[in-house]
Amino acid sequence: MIQNLVDGVLTGSIISLGAIGLTLIMHMLRFANFSYAELLGIGAYTALVFDKLLAVLFPALSGKIGALTLTGTLALSVLLAMVVAGASAVVIDALVFKRIRAKADALSMVFASFGVALILRNVITLIFGQKAQLYSNDIAFAIVVSRDPLLLIKPDQVFVLLAALVLMGGLHLVLTRTTFGFALRAVAENPVLAQVSGVRLSVIVTSVWLIGGALSAAAGVFYALTNHLSPAMGHNFVLPVFAATIVGGIGSVYGAVLGGFIVGIASGLALMVLPSGYIPAMPFLIILFVLMLRPHGLFGEDQG
Amino acid sequence: MIGLISYLAFFATMAGILAIAVLGLNLQWGHTGLFNGGVVAFFGAGAYGTMLLGGPPEPGQFGGFALPYVVALGGGILIAGVVAWIVGLLTLRLRHDYLAIATFGVAVAFENVTRNADWLTGGARGLRGFPRPLEAAIGDTFLYGLFFLGLVLAVLLAVYLGLERLVNSPYGRVLRAIREDEVSARSVGKNPTRLRLESFVIGSMIMGAAGGLYVSFYAFVSPQDLAPILTFQIWAMLIVGGAGNNRGAILGAFLIWGAWTLSGFALSRFAPDAMQLYTGSIQYILIGVVIVGMLMWRPQGLLPERVTKTIYQKGAKKGSVIINKEVI
Amino acid sequence: MKKNMTRFATLAALAIMAQAGTAAAQDCSVKVGVVLPTSVDWGKPIAETALWVAEMMNEAGGVNGCKIDPILRDSQTDPKVGVDAAKALVDLDKVQLLIGAVSSGVTIPILTSVTAPAGVMQISCCSSSTRLTDIAAEGTTKGLWFRTFATSNVQAAVAAMLAKDAGMKKITVLYKNDDWGQDIGKLATAAFEAAGIEVAGQIAITDGQPSYRAEVTEALGNQPEALYLALYPKEGISVVREWISLGGTTKMIGTNSLKSDEFRDAVGLQYLADFIGTDTSAPRTESATAFIDSYTAHFGSAPAGPGLPNSFDATAVALLAYHAAGKDATGAEIAAKVPMVTDPAGEKVGGDVEGFKKAIALLSEGKSVSFQGGTGAVAFDANGDVSAPAVEWVFGADGAISETRYIPLEEIGAFLASVN
Repeated sequence: MIQNLVDGVLTGSIISLGAIGLTLIMHMLRFANFSYAELLGIGAYTALVFDKLLAVLFPALSGKIGALTLTGTLALSVLLAMVVAGASAVVIDALVFKRIRAKADALSMVFASFGVALILRNVITLIFGQKAQLYSNDIAFAIVVSRDPLLLIKPDQVFVLLAALVLMGGLHLVLTRTTFGFALRAVAENPVLAQVSGVRLSVIVTSVWLIGGALSAAAGVFYALTNHLSPAMGHNFVLPVFAATIVGGIGSVYGAVLGGFIVGIASGLALMVLPSGYIPAMPFLIILFVLMLRPHGLFGEDQG
Repeated sequence: MIGLISYLAFFATMAGILAIAVLGLNLQWGHTGLFNGGVVAFFGAGAYGTMLLGGPPEPGQFGGFALPYVVALGGGILIAGVVAWIVGLLTLRLRHDYLAIATFGVAVAFENVTRNADWLTGGARGLRGFPRPLEAAIGDTFLYGLFFLGLVLAVLLAVYLGLERLVNSPYGRVLRAIREDEVSARSVGKNPTRLRLESFVIGSMIMGAAGGLYVSFYAFVSPQDLAPILTFQIWAMLIVGGAGNNRGAILGAFLIWGAWTLSGFALSRFAPDAMQLYTGSIQYILIGVVIVGMLMWRPQGLLPERVTKTIYQKGAKKGSVIINKEVI
Repeated sequence: MKKNMTRFATLAALAIMAQAGTAAAQDCSVKVGVVLPTSVDWGKPIAETALWVAEMMNEAGGVNGCKIDPILRDSQTDPKVGVDAAKALVDLDKVQLLIGAVSSGVTIPILTSVTAPAGVMQISCCSSSTRLTDIAAEGTTKGLWFRTFATSNVQAAVAAMLAKDAGMKKITVLYKNDDWGQDIGKLATAAFEAAGIEVAGQIAITDGQPSYRAEVTEALGNQPEALYLALYPKEGISVVREWISLGGTTKMIGTNSLKSDEFRDAVGLQYLADFIGTDTSAPRTESATAFIDSYTAHFGSAPAGPGLPNSFDATAVALLAYHAAGKDATGAEIAAKVPMVTDPAGEKVGGDVEGFKKAIALLSEGKSVSFQGGTGAVAFDANGDVSAPAVEWVFGADGAISETRYIPLEEIGAFLASVN
């Protein structure tokens, strides 16, 4: 029970990171972006490339940090991957979504995002192959925190949770303490009014893609660190990340964070109520349940 | 020559079945504005329902009532309707993305049940041996292919004519009124909640009919037939063909299914040997490019909605030249 | 060395053929349909293997001197796509032989709505569903259907036998939540229980999930002495790495699907010392070892992935039968020649260019052969199923898969009788 709860929190932190950008994008551009989760894959694979590259260039950094399987080179690679994934998100927007936005409605965007997801996933497959890959082949053993009730935690997971919280905290500071943050929130609340007050919408949209891409890349690397990389990894996250966004309420950053943890914990606890084969349906039962009570999610507002 | 006709008939049969499902979706989205992200659940309910009612009995397995074909198909359609009614009651007060994701969830849960509920659905092994209508009487494989195509086209035509009558009737105008402005529709005494549910159930029953035809065509159904990609394919057909236009929906079904199969065919034929093993990924990339390109080039679909003067198209912006002309 | 010899032999063969004036190999070709999920991780190597067999057959002389032209289509594991591809191959390319598919959910509709009605022979490497036996037994397949994937009951029984021999008392079963996994999971559970081993839990692993942490935690809570893994490499990697990191036992029994480099490398050899694998295969004859050697020579690594030897055998048996039936044969005629290729009394021929040449020559003379492929001597029953004896395998100290024990069907039968 405790174990499932803790595991859920740890998985939840990754889902939350993925959901933050998605909730902002869905709210500002008013479309459900199915290609968004592919950014996790782009981030994770970019980090893999940089990790290999840096290990050759700076062998001194390739040692493990403490009890983690994380190496110095990978830690640097995360940052680079965040930049690359953020930039990819902006490029994809410029190439596809911006053009469709200019002449069509939200639904066309949803379907374009399906198409983009297909393209991205299969390009990753063509480049990296379909085999599962790992940053490090070593298995990091869990630390026994308590024997009764049994509670095991892996150092990597603690790192992932802390890193995710740091990123979220950073975002919180940006949103609440900077002019840019105010501008972003203003656009999120009322795009028209914000524009009238002199906020440049295009700048904000670009920044949101950058932030979302960067956070997703971090989520992707963190996931791959505790599991493994495969071209389908982004695809596997589409549903949990959407679930977190919807449960939290579209447009709410804090809702997305909370939603991520709810989905993670619920999936962790699912086996206590459902037979194992039914676990994949769990995120949706949560969605249905939350939407029954609050049709616009926990923190969402009626978009009209 | 016979081979070509036989293949084309086969292709047209599958495209026709998909077109029926697209028409069902068109009623929900194109005419009523309901974002159904779980098409596959209603298609699947029709398929499994038809199989359970009309399939052969099997020890330890529920169903296999071996009912006459028309009864089985009708029953499958009804089952799809009942599922849609329950889902609709639970979800239809949601809007847009929320509705899409909730119905998508229903589809995943439905697939999950078919995969795990052995006693009811045969589990992941699926259900087999559906007796195809009149197969024994016709005998010849080639002729039977043509007969089945005829059956599918007849159902497609019936659904098309039925929907055309429906959407051009006062009832259809009310549906569009709800799509455009629910509050005004309510102000003139219409009950949007009930009408939306009706549209959702009718559309889903049409999808169920497609599922029923599908299972009688393959004589087999398994959870693999209910992958989310089917929902995506059917939506892509509607978007490319033109939401709100029934002829567009049918055209979209044939075009997208044609592109989907033709790209695999062309790659197997023309890609160099060294690339053969990568054709799967390349095909997906091509499909993605076609859909994205189509949406960039002509987002309103090939055959856009024919809007009468009394109706104001809310979503129409720069790209919708034709609509604008008609409105003006 | 081996590679050089093969190459030399090939050149020699080509020279002889050219001299004998059978350059006709260039002039005619025989189309063979191949429908496999090339866009799926485990599907691509299966397709690679099938194409490689066709290449070797061509080197050995082809079908009646005609070049084999395999047309590969991706099934995308989507039944609609696979069936359409098969129909195009049958109607437009007029293939009389179709190799495929992998998932039973694709194979069955192809069989019931395309190949069987059109009288085309279909052979699959990897479809495991018991539904296929039902369909064949009903006569729907008209004897046109074969598969080289042994039904799961032998592997399940052997797992119980090995567990009992190892003195295990309590096992948790983890199975892939698809037709194959559900089937073998149930059979293994029944076999373990029959052998007096407690099954502490049966946990479904549905693919495409981001994390299997909850499932693994559940398994850990059962406190089993060992795990039974009926998984594919990708889920296997996630589950086993998670399991080991949480301090789970390294005692594991796995199915043939985990015979994979990917699985071995990602989990790490140091954790696989106690891993016992099961598979269905005849004892290695000298000629059958040729499969592993020539595969390694061709692809640069040993065959390690689900279904590779099965894909090899399916393609080889089908193409040899095609040769025996003649290049203008119909599907039914090819199917009728399959027993000639798998005749236990026939001369043994191995799975390399040499073996194919020998087989082609013997079959041309109207003599039957016993094909010794990647899974040993292949033989089909009336429903097109193979039932091969079982084998126990482990990951050796050098990481190579080594087969440690062959278990004849009689021994498995005796074991089952003794526990019941």
